[in-house]
Amino acid sequence: MRLLPFDYAVRNLGRSAARLLLSVLGSALVVVLVIAAAAFVRGMSGSLNISGSANNIILLGAGSEESVERSEVEASTPGLLEASVSGVRARAGVSYVSPQVHVMLPVQTSSQQTKERQALIRGVTPEALLVHDMVRITEGRLPRPGSDEIMLGRMVGTSLGVPESDLAVGGTIVIDGRPWKVCGRFAAPGTVMEGEVWAPLLDVMAATKRATISCVVLTIDPALTDVGEIEVFTKMRPDLELVAMTELAYYGRLAGFFGPIKVVAWVTAALIALGGLFGGLNTMYAAFASRVRELGALQSLGFRRAAIVVSLVQESLLATTVGGLLACAVAVLFLDGLAVRFSMGAFGLVVDAPVVGVGLCAGLGLGLFGALPPAVRCLRLSIPEALKSF
Amino acid sequence: MALIECRSLTKAYKRGSGTITPLHELDLDVESGDFLALMGPSGSGKTTLLNLIAGIDRPTGGELCIDGADIATLSRSRLADWRSENIGYIFQLYNLVPVLTAYENVELPLLLHRMPGRERHERVRTALRLVGIADRHDHYPRQLSGGQEQRVAIARAIVTDPRIIVADEPTGDLDAESATAIMQLLTRLNRELNKTLIMVTHDAKCAGYARRALHLEKGRLVEPGRIGSEAEQEAAA
Repeated sequence: MRLLPFDYAVRNLGRSAARLLLSVLGSALVVVLVIAAAAFVRGMSGSLNISGSANNIILLGAGSEESVERSEVEASTPGLLEASVSGVRARAGVSYVSPQVHVMLPVQTSSQQTKERQALIRGVTPEALLVHDMVRITEGRLPRPGSDEIMLGRMVGTSLGVPESDLAVGGTIVIDGRPWKVCGRFAAPGTVMEGEVWAPLLDVMAATKRATISCVVLTIDPALTDVGEIEVFTKMRPDLELVAMTELAYYGRLAGFFGPIKVVAWVTAALIALGGLFGGLNTMYAAFASRVRELGALQSLGFRRAAIVVSLVQESLLATTVGGLLACAVAVLFLDGLAVRFSMGAFGLVVDAPVVGVGLCAGLGLGLFGALPPAVRCLRLSIPEALKSF
Repeated sequence: MALIECRSLTKAYKRGSGTITPLHELDLDVESGDFLALMGPSGSGKTTLLNLIAGIDRPTGGELCIDGADIATLSRSRLADWRSENIGYIFQLYNLVPVLTAYENVELPLLLHRMPGRERHERVRTALRLVGIADRHDHYPRQLSGGQEQRVAIARAIVTDPRIIVADEPTGDLDAESATAIMQLLTRLNRELNKTLIMVTHDAKCAGYARRALHLEKGRLVEPGRIGSEAEQEAAA
């Protein structure tokens, strides 16, 4: 089959500047929204997946596997683990064993004294920096026990919905009615920890009047041991009422918990795309219907209907591809890394190659399925009928 | 054997509860090199006959053989190929593609044929020269007058060197001066290039350029015969 020149499709785009603008901007808008949905899902999944390490084992109170906040572990457990479990990494005599308290507490800042927001407070010891090696102190220092000091993650501002000026090092924020001094900021790119407030373990235990910790995170040397051995330990000590799992498995379970939110995001994106498709159908039908006589003339010259459909689809694809590329540029420049608040804290939208691919595919789908029905409909007329139309 | 043979050629279609028969059991032979004018009132079936011969419509009855091939039996895609090889169509309203230049419009039918770019270029230049519009090759249709547009359309119709050229009221949208020029051009194509020309017209003056004219009424031929050729009169003068 001999096709019409590609130039014909390109030049047809210039017939109506308004229609071209409508097609390009319409498809760009749809693609931006689809990319936003994909970036949201990818950012959420990514933050949960990255947050866990395969070599980190998290020990929780039995029955609290779904939520570390509900977990209760005896405060003496970290010492027992350190003494009983072989294969735990150590450096300079310090074992990679990090007892932690995870608790959601209301937070007030200087600009929002009447409005409280919940934030995840993680009570930690310095060993937390050993087991969570992606955490980097970007400003200030680790809080000192007994000083009511805290260290804030990079996305706490987004998580709380407060300006960064409220969270500056040296400032004070109120947690559950008690003032805490900000002594440092940290980053842990792509993880949920960036939306957390870290404080000394004992201070958090005192402030929350609890004698137990939430969990123990330890880093194993995979050459020496594995999660199976830790599980054996938990079974040999049923009095401790512990369950062990890798951090990856723990955050994997959390990711499953947020599955419905991802589905809602995809459904919203699909509905937007469907709306865009109907808009595209209308625009392309108007564009093609005004050319029915010309299409009839092309057929009378000997061009097959399929060749004309290909040309019309090329035209539509060109417009939506331009719109799609525009949308990708906007997404990379303005959406990538944009912080989003959710119940676990905050995460950044991720606009990476697969997300851009999803956006471009949405744009191409819009171009293809937005042009095919109008093209087929306009070519359904017989050639004599088409030649008579105006 | 005639180049075009119509036997009991019928075209009927349903409209509402009734059937309309624009062409009714028509018999017609057209020899190679003929220049035939089809005349008749509106709705007499002349454009329907032209469209059937051009292969852009299908008969519902009878036979239509062109150069020995029964084109009514060809599939839609084969018919499209046949049109590109055998038919040059000239429309009343030119039907040039507005986003293409005169050159590109004329080149369009050649894209359906495999040939080197150089040969295609030569053919387009020759066709444009033949219709006297070579100097406007880079103009878009909107930059041309009606007469010039029709010249480009004629160049497009002849560029593939088809055996048959069909023209549906080729001067219907032109002023008298342009119409005369176009008719003289069509006459040249018939006389000098031996193209078989079938033209629908309402204008007796235009029909006078043809070698013969046929009158249709209600889908039937009513008055076949030769008429005095205006072109011959011009030639004699």
